[in-house]
Amino acid sequence: MIEELSRYITEDLINDPDFGTLETDEDLLGSGLLDSLGMMRLVGFIENNYGIKVPTEDLTMENFMSVETIEKYVNSKK
Amino acid sequence: MDYSFSQEQLAYKEKVIAFAKEAFPESYLEADLNSVFSKEAWMKCAEFGLQGLAIPKEYGGTGDEIDLITACLAMEGLGYACRDNGLAFGINAQLWTVEYPIVLFGTEEQKKKYLPRMAAGEWMGCHALSEPDAGSDVYSMKTTATKVDGGYLLNGHKHYITFGPVGDVILVFATTDPNKGAWGITAFMVEKGMKGFTQGENRPKMGLRTVPFGDLFFEDCFVPEENRLGPEGAGWSITNSSLEHDRCTILAGQLGTMQYQLEETVAYVRKRKQYGQAIGKFQSVSNRVADMKLRLELSKLLLYKVAWMKNKGETSMMESALLKLYMSESFIESSLDAIRNHGAPGYISEFEVERNLRDAVGGVIYAGTSDIQRNIISKLLGL
Repeated sequence: MIEELSRYITEDLINDPDFGTLETDEDLLGSGLLDSLGMMRLVGFIENNYGIKVPTEDLTMENFMSVETIEKYVNSKK
Repeated sequence: MDYSFSQEQLAYKEKVIAFAKEAFPESYLEADLNSVFSKEAWMKCAEFGLQGLAIPKEYGGTGDEIDLITACLAMEGLGYACRDNGLAFGINAQLWTVEYPIVLFGTEEQKKKYLPRMAAGEWMGCHALSEPDAGSDVYSMKTTATKVDGGYLLNGHKHYITFGPVGDVILVFATTDPNKGAWGITAFMVEKGMKGFTQGENRPKMGLRTVPFGDLFFEDCFVPEENRLGPEGAGWSITNSSLEHDRCTILAGQLGTMQYQLEETVAYVRKRKQYGQAIGKFQSVSNRVADMKLRLELSKLLLYKVAWMKNKGETSMMESALLKLYMSESFIESSLDAIRNHGAPGYISEFEVERNLRDAVGGVIYAGTSDIQRNIISKLLGL
């Protein structure tokens, strides 16, 4: 999942050939790496690919800060 | 896709139309000219139940459950039957950017305190997000909330806030941790009269003049902990939860106005005669009417699709952006066509045709500008 999420974020959301490697603990929204639209696209990707529904109340830093926290969140919802 | 509506949903729309025709038969020429907000009209709508459309029944809400399609149809009905476009705009703003976030994120105490009063029209709610240096780039906001014993001290300046000068309860967004960027935004319920909180005067504007807009100032404004909405850092999530709903229903009022505008224009060009025939017989005139009809029908399809998707709990980023962009721009175009087809009476204020054009222009700016919607669409296409 980590690899799949990282690839989607790097290739589809950041979409910058000059961007290096995404660290799995890198803050996606707080650092400005992704904007609100990017985060919502990521949520859509997670819902479609991992068969879970992300309620609005779960869109917190604890759950969605980085690839690592997202993986933990998704696994906890399965 | 099935955009068919239930009998109950359609019946409620008809009920709203009948209510608005009876409650608001007056001209809005003077109210528009003098930028007058009518608390009486607000109360009439609350008594009917419109302010309760985003609230569960146990907190004073209107229906058995919150139904976005019913809300859209209700706003469409209000826009169709009431000539004050500001009224539907203002109700919608309170429904989805103040009440709904409290429904989603509020504590039991907050729901009991705020929701019944807003449903009843007793309290008016505002959503305070924009700042002088944080418009489309809203998470660069400067308003801070510093933790102190028992609560927070708010400092900052919010501007262009719908109902800012008259609001009783304000949903304010402030940063509790600037180092966390968007994750550091927290929401607070600020109440009229709190020490350190000042509401500015109404700022005159081009359209939607019956809705007061203004600035809000916070100077060491103490907000108790129990007035924080959701946990620290939930501000980003709260704004996201409300904006798609807001964009959808805020345009429903316009859809009703566009329907009325078309009917009124058709009636005028059938009646008005030049060179011995109704001006509607001239193709230059009828072509504009055809274009108005096309914009109306496409707007309907886009709006109903988004409402249908949101009601099913689906995300609708692309559809919402297409809707917001197309419908707000269409309302301007159709308002211009209505003016052209009316000739001089379309241009003169007393006939109340030109006001729609002024009201329409705000639509390409508020709740995400047309430029921002185009950015969203192109990004979603992978650009």
